[in-house]
Amino acid sequence: MGVAGLAGCARGRPRLNVYNWSNYLAPDTVANFEREFGVRVRYATYESNEEMLAKVLGGNSGWDVVFPTHNRIQPMRQYGLLAPLDHARLPNLPNLEARFQSPPWDPRLEYCVPYMWGATGIAYNRSAAPAPAAWADLWSARFKGRLTMLDDPEEVLGACLLKLQLSYNSTDDASLRRAEHEAIAQKPLVRAYLNAEYRDQLVAGDILVAHSWATTAQQAIDAAPQLGFAYPAEGFPLYGDNAVVLRESGRAELAHEFINYLLRAPVAAAIVQTSRTATANGAAQALLPEALRRNTTLFPTAETLARGQWIGTMPSATQRLRDRMWTEIKSA
Amino acid sequence: MKTASGWERLRAWFLLPAWIWMAVLFAAPFAIVIVYSLLTRGAYGGVGLPWTIENYQRLADPLYLGIVLRSFVMAAATTAICLMLGFPLALFISRAGSRKNIYLQLVILPFWTSFLVRLYAWLFLLRDTGLINTALQHLGLIHDPLPLLYNDGAVLLGLVYGYLPFMVLPVYATLERLDPALVEAAADLGAKPWPTLLHVVLPLSAPGIRAGSILVFIPALGAYLTPDLLGGGRTVLIGNLVQNQFTTARDWPFGAALSVGLMALVGVLVLLMLRSEREGLV
Amino acid sequence: MKRWLGLYAAAVYLFLHVPLVILAVFSFNSSRFTVWQGFSLTWYRAIFHDQQLAESAWNSVIIAVAATILSTIAGTLCAYGLWKRGATLLSGSLYLSLVTPEIVMGISLLALFQWSFRWLHWRLGLHTVILAHVAFSIAYVVIVIAARLRTFSPALEEAALDLGATEWQAFRYVTLPALLPGIVAAALLALTVSFDDYVITSMVAGVDSETLPMVIYAMARRGASPVINAISALIVVVFGALVLLSERVREA
Repeated sequence: MGVAGLAGCARGRPRLNVYNWSNYLAPDTVANFEREFGVRVRYATYESNEEMLAKVLGGNSGWDVVFPTHNRIQPMRQYGLLAPLDHARLPNLPNLEARFQSPPWDPRLEYCVPYMWGATGIAYNRSAAPAPAAWADLWSARFKGRLTMLDDPEEVLGACLLKLQLSYNSTDDASLRRAEHEAIAQKPLVRAYLNAEYRDQLVAGDILVAHSWATTAQQAIDAAPQLGFAYPAEGFPLYGDNAVVLRESGRAELAHEFINYLLRAPVAAAIVQTSRTATANGAAQALLPEALRRNTTLFPTAETLARGQWIGTMPSATQRLRDRMWTEIKSA
Repeated sequence: MKTASGWERLRAWFLLPAWIWMAVLFAAPFAIVIVYSLLTRGAYGGVGLPWTIENYQRLADPLYLGIVLRSFVMAAATTAICLMLGFPLALFISRAGSRKNIYLQLVILPFWTSFLVRLYAWLFLLRDTGLINTALQHLGLIHDPLPLLYNDGAVLLGLVYGYLPFMVLPVYATLERLDPALVEAAADLGAKPWPTLLHVVLPLSAPGIRAGSILVFIPALGAYLTPDLLGGGRTVLIGNLVQNQFTTARDWPFGAALSVGLMALVGVLVLLMLRSEREGLV
Repeated sequence: MKRWLGLYAAAVYLFLHVPLVILAVFSFNSSRFTVWQGFSLTWYRAIFHDQQLAESAWNSVIIAVAATILSTIAGTLCAYGLWKRGATLLSGSLYLSLVTPEIVMGISLLALFQWSFRWLHWRLGLHTVILAHVAFSIAYVVIVIAARLRTFSPALEEAALDLGATEWQAFRYVTLPALLPGIVAAALLALTVSFDDYVITSMVAGVDSETLPMVIYAMARRGASPVINAISALIVVVFGALVLLSERVREA
C-alpha cells in the first residue's frame, strides 16, 4: 500500500528485517550499516521472548534476524526455526569474550552468536543504610512499602529459591512450594511487581529497594548517583541474548553481514555507551572509556561472577506448577 | 404482501456485510480458539497434540473462580460509576445546541493519544512522590504521602477513566433524540427539573443506558493493561490471567479455555438479559 | 439546573484532560525522568528526525480511517437490519466479539491468517490489520446505532411507503438522515478504538506495517521517554485544530 512511497522508495536496495529487544542499539548503528552496505533495514523491537516467539513459531513471520535469550535457543532448534551459521561469513567472531566463544547453550556457536548478557540483582538507594547485599535482605521489615519485585514468575520464584540456598533452576516440587511460601510471606512488604516503572520510582525516591536487572539499575544510577546495585551473596541468575538467523529467511548472506557488523569492536562499544548493557564482545570492552570498563554493575569481577547461574530451560510439568504458583501468589 | 417481502429483501442485503465479516473474522478464529482449548501446550508456546479436556477441568478450581468473581465485581463497579459520571455529561452535550459536536469531540480528544501513555500520566499523578501527594504535602494537608496507587481504588479509577466515552456516546445518541417538547410539557404541568429528569428523561434514555452499560461492562471484564499498571501487579483479574497464559506462562490451551469459559458466562448473562426484556437490545 | 450541569461537565472534562496537561508539560522537560529539570525542546526535535515515527503515524491513520468507514457502513446496515427483525446468532456473535480478550482475538486471527496464507500466498500487512480492526469495531457501531433506533417509530417509514416510496427510499430519505448523529457518534467510537489498538494490531501486523501505538508502547515500556509525551502533545494539538477547523467549515 501507499506506505512504500512515504518510506523514501527504496526499490532496488536489498532489504533486511531485524527484530530485536528494545534499547539494544546506538542511535546510528542501523543507519551506518545501511549506508556502508547499501541496504535498507527494517528494525522493530519486542519486550519479551514470548512476543517474538509467537510471531516466529509460524515459520513465515518475515523476520531475518532475531535475538532470543539463551534458554530459548535449544527449543527453537527443536522446532526447526534456526538456520545454521556459516562461520566463514563471520570473521569477527574472535572478538567475542573467551567464555562466549563456547557458551554452554551452543558450545560450537553453530546457531547463535552471543550479543549482550546481564544479570538480576538488587538496586537500592544508599540512604537505606545498611545497603542490602543478599536476597534475604528483601524480606526485611524496614523496607515495607518501599520495595518492588520484578513482575516475572521465574525471577521472583528464583529469588526465593536462592534465598533458601536452593538452585535458581530447581524443578523439585517441594523446593518450589517452599519458595512460593516465601513469596507469599514477602507480599505484604512489596509495594508492587514492576518490570520497567521501578527505574523512575527509584530515581524519584518513591522506593528504596528494587529487584532489578543490572542494566536497568545502571540507567537509574546514571541519573541518580545515590543509587547502587548489589549482586546478592546467595547467587544470582545470568542471561545472554544471542543473534540468530531464522531458517525462513531468504537473505541469509545479508543476515550474516549484519551480525558480523554488530561484532565489530567499535560498533559494539558504541552500543554499550548508549544502552548501558554488558556486551559479550571482549574487543569492544577494551575500547570503552575507563569508567565504563571498570563499572562493576555492568561488568562484575570474576569473583562475583562465579556466584552467577545461567538460567536453564524448564520442563513442561514444572512450568505448569510455577504458573499456578504465580497465580496463587498474585491472588494472595 | 409486497411490503413485508420488500423489507425482508432489504434486511437480507443489509445484514450481509456483517454476516460475512463475523463469519470469516470472528467465527473462524473463535473455532480456532476452541480447537486450541482442547489441545495440549507446546513446550515453548503454541499448541500440540494430544487432545484433552483437562484445560476445562482446571477451570473448576476455586482459585480461578475467585478471580472471575473479583473481575465481575470490578467491572460492575466501573459500569455503575461510568453511568453516574457519564449520564449528566451526555445530558449536557445533548442540550448544548450548536456546540454539540465540539463537546462530543472533546470527550474523544484525549483518546487519540495512546492509552498506555495516559496511564503513565496517572502514575505520575498518583505516585507517592507524584503531583497530588506533593501538592497536598506542600499545602500542609497531609504529612505522609497517601497510598493512592497500586490498589483496587487506583484500578477502578483507571478503568472508569478508560471507559467513560463508551458510556457517554451511546447515552448521548439516545438523549439527542429526546424531544424537548416532552420536557416542556412536563414543566407546563408543573413538574420541577429533578422529577422531570427521573420520570421523563431517564426512562426515555433507557436504551442508551443499556447500550452504554454493555459497552463498558463487557470489555472491562477483559481489561488487563489498567489493572497491571495501576494495580502494580498485586492482583490478578481475568484479563491479566488470560494475558499471562499467552505470554509468560506459555499455556495457550489453558488461556483459550479461560476465554471460552468467560465468553460462555457472559453469553449466558446476555441471553438472560435479552429474554427478560420484551425487546432485545439488538 | 443548566448552570450546575455546565459546572459538572467542566469538572468531568478536567478529569478526562488532566493527564494530557501533564504529558504536555513534561514534553518540555530536559530530563528523561519524571523529575523536572528545565525547559527544553529536544524531544520535539527528536520526533522530526524519526522516520519510523512518521511512517507508523501514517499507517495508523490509514488503518483507522479505512476500518472506521468499513465498520460504520457494515455496522449501521446491520443494526438497521436487526431492528427490522432480530437474528440471534448474529447478535450473539457481536456480543461475544466484545468480551473476547484482545490477546485471544489477536492470537486466533494470527493463526487464521497464517493458515490461510499457505493457500493465498499473502503476507501479513496493513490489509490484515484493517480486516482485524473491522472485526472488533462492528459490535461497537451496531450497539450504538441500535440504541438510537430504539427511539424510532416504524410509523414514519410506513407513511413513506404509503406515499409510494420503495423500502430502500424510505430508509435512505427518512431513517438515515435521522440516524446521522448516532452514526457520527458510532464512527467516532470506532475510530478511537481502532487508532489506539495495540495488542491485536501487534499480532497481525506485518514487518512493514508498524502502527503508532506499537512504536509508542515499545518506547513507553522501555521507561516512558519524553519523546512519547511530545508525540502525544502534538497529536492533541493537531486533532484539536482539525476539530475546530471542521466546525468552522460546517458553520460557514
